[in-house]
Amino acid sequence: MFNYIVRRILQAIPILLVVLTLVFLVVRVLPGDPAVAALGDYASKDAVLALQERMGLNDPLWLQYVRFLGNLLTGDMGTSLVTGYSVGKQVVQALPYTLTLTISAILFGYIFGVPLGISAAVHRNSFIDYFNRIFSLVGLSVPAFYLGVLLMYFFSIRLRLFPVVGAGDPGDLGSLLHHLFLPALSLGLIMTAYVTRMTRSSLLEILREDYIRTAKSKGLAGRVVLYKHALRNALIPIVTLGGLYAVVLIGSSVMVEIVFSRPGLGKMMVGAIQQRDYTTLQSVMALYTVFVVVINLLTDLIYGLIDPRIKYD
Amino acid sequence: MKKRCVFGWLLVIFLTLAVGMSAFGAEEGLADTQELVIAFDAGDSKSLDPHRAATTVDRSTVDMIFNGLVRYSPGNQVDVEPDIAESWRVSEDGRVWTFNLRKGVYFHPFPGSPDGYELTADDVVYSLKRAANADHSSYAGEYTGLQFQAVNPQTVKVFIDQPISETLFLAKFAAYAGGFIVCKKAIEAKGDEWSAINPVGTGPFRFERYDPRQMTVLAANEKYFRGKPVLEKVTVRYIPGVSSRELGLRTGELHIIEGQNEAMWVEKMATFPEVAIVPFGPCEVQMLHLNMSREPFDNLQVRKAVSYAISRAMVAAFMGESLAVPIYSPAMAPPAPGALTEEEARAAGVVYDNDAAKAKELLKEAGFPDGLKTEVIISELATSYRKPMVGIQAQLKKAGIDMALKVVDHSSFHSLIRDNASPMVYYACWRPNTDVFLTRFYHSDSEVVSGKKPDTNFSHYGAVDADGDQKIDSIDDLIVQARLELDSKKQNELWKQAQIQLLKDAAVIPMIRLKYVFPMKSYVDLGHPLEFSWSTYSPQITEKTKILAH
Repeated sequence: MFNYIVRRILQAIPILLVVLTLVFLVVRVLPGDPAVAALGDYASKDAVLALQERMGLNDPLWLQYVRFLGNLLTGDMGTSLVTGYSVGKQVVQALPYTLTLTISAILFGYIFGVPLGISAAVHRNSFIDYFNRIFSLVGLSVPAFYLGVLLMYFFSIRLRLFPVVGAGDPGDLGSLLHHLFLPALSLGLIMTAYVTRMTRSSLLEILREDYIRTAKSKGLAGRVVLYKHALRNALIPIVTLGGLYAVVLIGSSVMVEIVFSRPGLGKMMVGAIQQRDYTTLQSVMALYTVFVVVINLLTDLIYGLIDPRIKYD
Repeated sequence: MKKRCVFGWLLVIFLTLAVGMSAFGAEEGLADTQELVIAFDAGDSKSLDPHRAATTVDRSTVDMIFNGLVRYSPGNQVDVEPDIAESWRVSEDGRVWTFNLRKGVYFHPFPGSPDGYELTADDVVYSLKRAANADHSSYAGEYTGLQFQAVNPQTVKVFIDQPISETLFLAKFAAYAGGFIVCKKAIEAKGDEWSAINPVGTGPFRFERYDPRQMTVLAANEKYFRGKPVLEKVTVRYIPGVSSRELGLRTGELHIIEGQNEAMWVEKMATFPEVAIVPFGPCEVQMLHLNMSREPFDNLQVRKAVSYAISRAMVAAFMGESLAVPIYSPAMAPPAPGALTEEEARAAGVVYDNDAAKAKELLKEAGFPDGLKTEVIISELATSYRKPMVGIQAQLKKAGIDMALKVVDHSSFHSLIRDNASPMVYYACWRPNTDVFLTRFYHSDSEVVSGKKPDTNFSHYGAVDADGDQKIDSIDDLIVQARLELDSKKQNELWKQAQIQLLKDAAVIPMIRLKYVFPMKSYVDLGHPLEFSWSTYSPQITEKTKILAH
């Protein structure tokens, strides 16, 4: 297992390097000048030139690239080209919000999606099944940000139950949860739809297997057959889906953070693109890449816990 | 009978007093919490260094933290009034200005100075020198030819190479852009980068906290020289989505929001309870600059054809009549001093009233009997750029001009138009005065790419033959002459003369003046009228702003 993890981490290094190089180049291909973006259209040419020099934008590209990689290796993400604020500090401030939102949505998806999927599979072609299928279809079709606006309208404008702006007071858990509920619901409903659908189809396939028929014919209770024999085998694709959609959710969280004006990596990234803030954008993109690699690794490791047949050599 | 009468009178007096007092209480009663939240269309602050702040949100924030020697009256910014300076005078030769500073102006606390300290002439001189230095200021060009001297702690002298009018001189020292007075000791102790995130000023609100991409929190400056502010806190939030800001206003989490300059949106917002919305001016003027360095717009007939093809009234109607006003001045718009009015433009014969047939005829004369095709770069931003250009595109089509729009993001737009990449440039902005506007848009030195100080002269006026007489046409001399004219009336005349020449040569088509839209909760009292307010691009929050009981 340890060797497997080390091997996977080593394999991730060239992937990271390629992505970081692409990110470095792509942000510089974008038209627009960070100095102009920072100073605004009123600034004189002299002021723009002075700022370009201060930002290090006049240095050769290779030097900027080496500086970028060197800083990353030492854990230094640099400072924002626009505000001069430490990118590392910004990430430390924003990361918990994005992680909380994503993890809440994943938990929400599994807590509601698995039971719904099971009930749909067990009551196949019944009203419950049809309801769950329609719910999944709607969940898959509606973008998270649009769902967010609808939820805001209903829960905040009509019922005045939840706030719509920000993430709450960092020192007050109640306030944080109060502000988290609607964004997590926006993302979580979509995750629920995915999990429901996958649980249903995976379980239906398993329930047709011979060993399930054998278990039933041995006189085992339906509950035991369903939860001990069928569900455990159906979990592998559901966990895989969880891994895949955790990555998708991190992407979707960008728009949810914007709609709910929550702090987070997504809001940070969009702001950095608008301001042509190369250092911030590079660092956030690098972090997203690390997320994807880590999530894929964790997903692979969880397989072994669910299915004892899977060995890591 | 007598007792009854007395009792009756007492009852009347009591009721009158009771009603009067309750009405007075309702008007003057304050909400328990005096914490104002204002949200802007921005992802983040770019800089809270007042000499760098350029965006609406940053200008609005630094306006609450800093003062200038003089200031524009909140809400009606035509004339200046004392701010840190309580009086000023100019020498007979116009070369030495003396400012007498107010006593009891304190800087906000900062690390190493927990109580702040009293502002002196040293701070003012340090601040003005910093504003004049391009390494530290975006407005350095405004202070060329000026020298500053601290005569004593309460007196500052400013020496100027070439005397200029009071209108132009005082604008450099107003609480705006480079005129904001920064804290010498804080910047010297902590450095520029620290100060850009931790501004220290003398204004009604002091900096308390900055959460990147979320908010900046300001607290009341209890030592403010105009008196302690009514508001205890002001939170400036960065919320780029208009629907999020709108919902926040409706739930009451936000008190003032940057809105959308769209008539339908304004009408919708006005229907919500407890929401007050008063579009106010001047926001920005929008103009179409015709690039005379490129074919076919190097031809006067073609430019006149374009002028005749466009109806500014229709563009204003397209943008919404409550928000857009047609303009006839190629520099600023009335009531700004020196801006050409419609009557003056008509009297000078430089209003090209919409006439598609005439436009076609002019195109034919210019050698384009079948019309012409062009591709124009335009910013993605809807209200200031894309939407009016779509209206113009439809009008040009009727005159046989097929204008394709290449939509790019706003940052790219600014880079591309400064690289002379577009044959026409639709530009929206406001500038502090007519001199700045004329200089930056029409002086030959400001010609994009090849000017001595390349800036925003997109038409290349002053560097090309505009009317086909084989001579370079320029208003450079008029700009300089007006700048040095000490008599305000004569100065205005010179500015208008320059504008009439620009319009005669059809170098630019003034289109509309767009108003600001900042819906707010009806229980927010700004403490000043909202008429003509341009220095922050938003309603100003002052020591008098308050939240009424609701």
